[in-house]
Amino acid sequence: MANGATTGTTTAPPAGTETGTITAPSLLTRSIAWIPEARRRQLGIGLLIVAALAFPYLIDSNDADVDSMANAAAYATLALGLNIVVGFAGLLDLGYAAFFAIGAYTYGILTAYQLQPAWNSFWDVFQFLGLASPVPADVGTGMVVHFTLSFWLALPLAAALASFFGVVFGLPTLRLRGDYLAIVTLGFGEITPIVVRNWSDLTNGAAGLNGVAAPQLFGWSFGVNSVPYYYVAIAMVAMLIFISIRLRDSRIGRAWMAIREDEIAAGAMGVDRTKFKLLAFAIGAAFAGMTGVFYVAKLQTATPEMFGFPVSVMILVMIVFGGIGSVWGVVLGAFILQLLQSWWLQDLTQWTHVLGRMVNSTILQKADFVQSIELIFGIILVVMMLFRRQGLIPAVRPQKALTFDQQHAEIRRGGFSDLKLQGLGGEVRTGAAALEIKGVTVRFGGLVALNNVDITVPTGSVVAVIGPNGSGKSTLFNAITALVEADEGSIRFHGEEMIGLPPHVILAKGIARTFQNLRLFPNLTVMDNALVSQHTRLKTGVLQAIFRPPSTRAEEKAAREWAMEVFSIFGNRLVPRTEQMVAGLSYANRRRIEIARALASRPRILLLDEPTAGMNPAETLELAEQIKSLNDLGLTVLLIEHKLDVVTRLADTVYVLDHGDVIASGKPDEVRKNEEVLRAYLGRNAQAAAAGAA
Amino acid sequence: MLLEFKDVDTHYGDLHVLKQVNYAIERGEIIALLGGNASGKSTTMKTIMGVVRPTRGQVIFDGQPIEKLPTAERVRRGIAPVLEARRLFPRMTVFENLEMGAYLRKHGAEFDQDLERVYTLFPRVKERRTQIAGTLSGGEQQMVAMGRALMARPILLCMDEPSMGLSPIFVEQVFDIIQEINRQGTTIFMVEQNANMALSIANRAYVLQTGQVVLSGAADELRRNPLIREAYLGELQVAV
Amino acid sequence: MTYTDLLLQQTINGLSLGAMYSLLALGFTLVYGILELINFSHFNVFMIGSFVAMWTLQMFGLSGQDVILAGLPLAGVLLVAFVVTMGFCGGLGVVIERVTLRPLRNVKGPAAMITSIGVSYILFNIVLLTVGADSKNFPNPLPTIRYQIGGATLDFRVILIWVIALLLMGALYMFVQRSRLGRAMRATAQDQEAARMMGVEVDKVIMMAFFLGSALAGAGGMIFGLYYNFTSFIIGFTAGLRAFTAAVLGGIGNVPGAMVGGMLIGLIEAMGGQFIATAWTDVIIFSILVLVLVFKPSGLFGRVAPNKS
Repeated sequence: MANGATTGTTTAPPAGTETGTITAPSLLTRSIAWIPEARRRQLGIGLLIVAALAFPYLIDSNDADVDSMANAAAYATLALGLNIVVGFAGLLDLGYAAFFAIGAYTYGILTAYQLQPAWNSFWDVFQFLGLASPVPADVGTGMVVHFTLSFWLALPLAAALASFFGVVFGLPTLRLRGDYLAIVTLGFGEITPIVVRNWSDLTNGAAGLNGVAAPQLFGWSFGVNSVPYYYVAIAMVAMLIFISIRLRDSRIGRAWMAIREDEIAAGAMGVDRTKFKLLAFAIGAAFAGMTGVFYVAKLQTATPEMFGFPVSVMILVMIVFGGIGSVWGVVLGAFILQLLQSWWLQDLTQWTHVLGRMVNSTILQKADFVQSIELIFGIILVVMMLFRRQGLIPAVRPQKALTFDQQHAEIRRGGFSDLKLQGLGGEVRTGAAALEIKGVTVRFGGLVALNNVDITVPTGSVVAVIGPNGSGKSTLFNAITALVEADEGSIRFHGEEMIGLPPHVILAKGIARTFQNLRLFPNLTVMDNALVSQHTRLKTGVLQAIFRPPSTRAEEKAAREWAMEVFSIFGNRLVPRTEQMVAGLSYANRRRIEIARALASRPRILLLDEPTAGMNPAETLELAEQIKSLNDLGLTVLLIEHKLDVVTRLADTVYVLDHGDVIASGKPDEVRKNEEVLRAYLGRNAQAAAAGAA
Repeated sequence: MLLEFKDVDTHYGDLHVLKQVNYAIERGEIIALLGGNASGKSTTMKTIMGVVRPTRGQVIFDGQPIEKLPTAERVRRGIAPVLEARRLFPRMTVFENLEMGAYLRKHGAEFDQDLERVYTLFPRVKERRTQIAGTLSGGEQQMVAMGRALMARPILLCMDEPSMGLSPIFVEQVFDIIQEINRQGTTIFMVEQNANMALSIANRAYVLQTGQVVLSGAADELRRNPLIREAYLGELQVAV
Repeated sequence: MTYTDLLLQQTINGLSLGAMYSLLALGFTLVYGILELINFSHFNVFMIGSFVAMWTLQMFGLSGQDVILAGLPLAGVLLVAFVVTMGFCGGLGVVIERVTLRPLRNVKGPAAMITSIGVSYILFNIVLLTVGADSKNFPNPLPTIRYQIGGATLDFRVILIWVIALLLMGALYMFVQRSRLGRAMRATAQDQEAARMMGVEVDKVIMMAFFLGSALAGAGGMIFGLYYNFTSFIIGFTAGLRAFTAAVLGGIGNVPGAMVGGMLIGLIEAMGGQFIATAWTDVIIFSILVLVLVFKPSGLFGRVAPNKS
């Protein structure tokens, strides 16, 4: 048999390779499986680092396996970057490979012999900096420029350039719904390789860039040896995991997740949606740009085909498989799928060929599972979405159950005497207007939702707005908080015009609201909900979030303490539950969180939209007392309420809306006797109703 | 007994909405269901129509349990809804909306009869029959919504807040027509915030509060009950 | 050729491509109108349609460039091929909906869209792995009859493509506008819950939308083969994206809009290829997609605005 030798090697592969194939990933998975248990967390990470560092020497220095791991690590960095966009901010980006390409070509063009302008004295300064050198021209005489950008400088440069394009590509998508954002990013992802292919002067077109320089470290070139690339890739993964986790657990990450959970509510709670969406695009793109530099430096070539739609989908598959939003999950997903491709499917193919020879089946002998990797990707996407949407390692960790004592503790309603609550309320009833609404009109198509409405809320008072369903009450709140645009009129808050300001600025000015139908961030904890609304009061930026200087730690600590203080308004109803996901709490508690969230933003006026809807009488009474106490602290309140006796108890002034018109206003008792109000509320038989009330 | 709820519980996820609710509605009655926002009124309507399935208990229509039947089958058996906020098909003509009301029935003599009946009850609907529904005023839309429900030739008409967002003059018109529909033989189960208005035409009423029936009885008695005002405008004093 | 002739010729070419894009765009629009889902699997249902058509024609002994049938027998074979292709693709669409998308119907977020990308990938790779990566010669059974209009050429097959596309689109339009089920489909798209309460069986209506959309995609696939005389596993992606752009251009969810949008995209492709450069066609079309979404998100004749209210 001519192929006997080949058979020999395939049936009995070198022991070293086999060991590497099996132990390395299982070591990896086991290490990661330890992570969620907090006690072993550091131990686990430590072991992981040791294993990662030792890997090239664990397996007889098999260069191909080290190379596969280096590639897997590169894909892990891409997955981490896409995870910021898709997992944290909830923006489905199907053209992520574009940023990978931009990074790759940045480094490629600035090290290959592609751009060769004639050498003149202009380039001397670049030569001095080590960025260019003169080489003899291929054609004719004289010298031309050869760019010699250092790999290490290229990493931040490519990250910055990719971020720039992240913002450019992100800008037009900001107003689009999630699915349209996906298709537009897909478009950009398609356009980028086309531009690369057709802009031959810059990129050498479809033939690709050749002679991309290998990285050098202190004069030593990496060449084609896999080991140094492996260590660089591992270092990048470690750095990006660190950055991802630090960002996730910061003001920045909370803002992203708030946008993901409920974009409208995020805006109303003070998150500048434009800025933070673009920030997610920029940081995600930066990760890809860096990876692009690494990838072409390692391959020393770049072609347009390396950055097409299949690459974007592969990265998406990795994060879907690992767990959208889960930092460790997406890394695991990237490693498993990359190694599946480069190790396991090849082994499977070889084993199948052996089996094919044994049973004499030509089909089995010809089978090649490596080619079916994309089919497997497709199956993974479908199966994960149908059966395990949270991925291998869910981003939402299982929550601690309440202890028996906590569950059965006597309900304390909370009081205000022992609360400091600095920075909340403290307004004095001077008689000056806190909120002055004048001539506000809102139209939806032909329907007039608010018609020339005038309402004044004096500082320190409680003003209630009542009216039948559909009379424009919630539209009024939406107009004040810029969720709908007022067609006419003015809304002044302590003298300052609010119309024209975006929702997050309105919150920053001190107007906080609740929503009638509860718009909490369901997959965030109670604490995180109350931290999101403090967004505008906190200063942590990207760098502070990553490096966590003492000032940032102090700020975060103070924010949490303030949130706890706000929660304690509701006695022990919320305090033991601060680390629970909002989605799992009772309706009444979610109503309370809605109020606590608004209060945590330290508002000067609180807008409550039917705070007692759906509460039973005891809960209603409790909440009414709490609102009263808040007002006693000097907090101005504007209240929409259906229950008239809550209104009577709390309000200094009542406005009655009907069909978008203010039909009456005054003290609660006067309004209750007003003929027109009775008619609007009760229709004919108003007399009988009035008699009944008397 | 035309419609009966027997110890019905419903949940939205963890949220317990209706709690052991019982209703009993006789043929030919007008029944009002009163209560504050989020008290479970709309959930009651959705449970009747089969959009929400009870987690416990029975819904009996015309002597047979229907709680497991799909919505289409309930419509076929003679239950038709007038949805909260009208919910017309906004980009269809008025006539097409009426056709959708008769979706499960054949075109023919009966259809023409019903159409005639709707046009007689609502002359305005006839005038507007070729207009796109989304461009009608709120009151006109309410008439089309009621007409659409009547096109199903229902035995039981379930109305969710027919007065919502209507000006008082329209509200009175709408309630007059509801009485007329009832006189023509249709049983009416009506969710309303406008309690006095509803009680003025209803035979009996139920008052819901956080998913439980807290008061029920003849409309006349409930109207004289001083608690009724507070029962739906403010719940505090009722609880004491 | 004079400039006018070129313009005329490219108009003819553009309308032929446009007929194909229109058929494909209708599937996006029907499904989006009801489910607000961008159905990526549609791309490759189209691709599979071209293969099914090819195999069906080959079963009748038609292959390569040989014209062995004429007159009624040819018309009969073509009709059978269209029916088989459309039936197969329609069925495929229904299976995709039932098995992979229905379980996710009430799941918020991008889960359904990601699933449809997965399904598209599966279809694509099944064809790649079984049929192979090389492009296949699509049978060319039509007689070569050419009409000269000025300097431009009008092919018989182009006329046939127009006639078939117009018939299908006309039939769909009449179905949606006039039939009881079509009315139920529109009602479901406008207010699903209200439609359900009128007695509409929403599941069936959605299945119908998938069937019709996928069947039209199959017809589009066959037209692709007849027009270009080849097919390949790779044709779904580009054609799909262009057709999706067509649906957006016409106002997604809007049936006549998708038809006009498809024609416009076909014309843009033909004119862009002639007067700018074929290499930049996709860049032009994507730029249109982005510009429409950003500045006129409801499309030229739009109804369902794809931006947040």
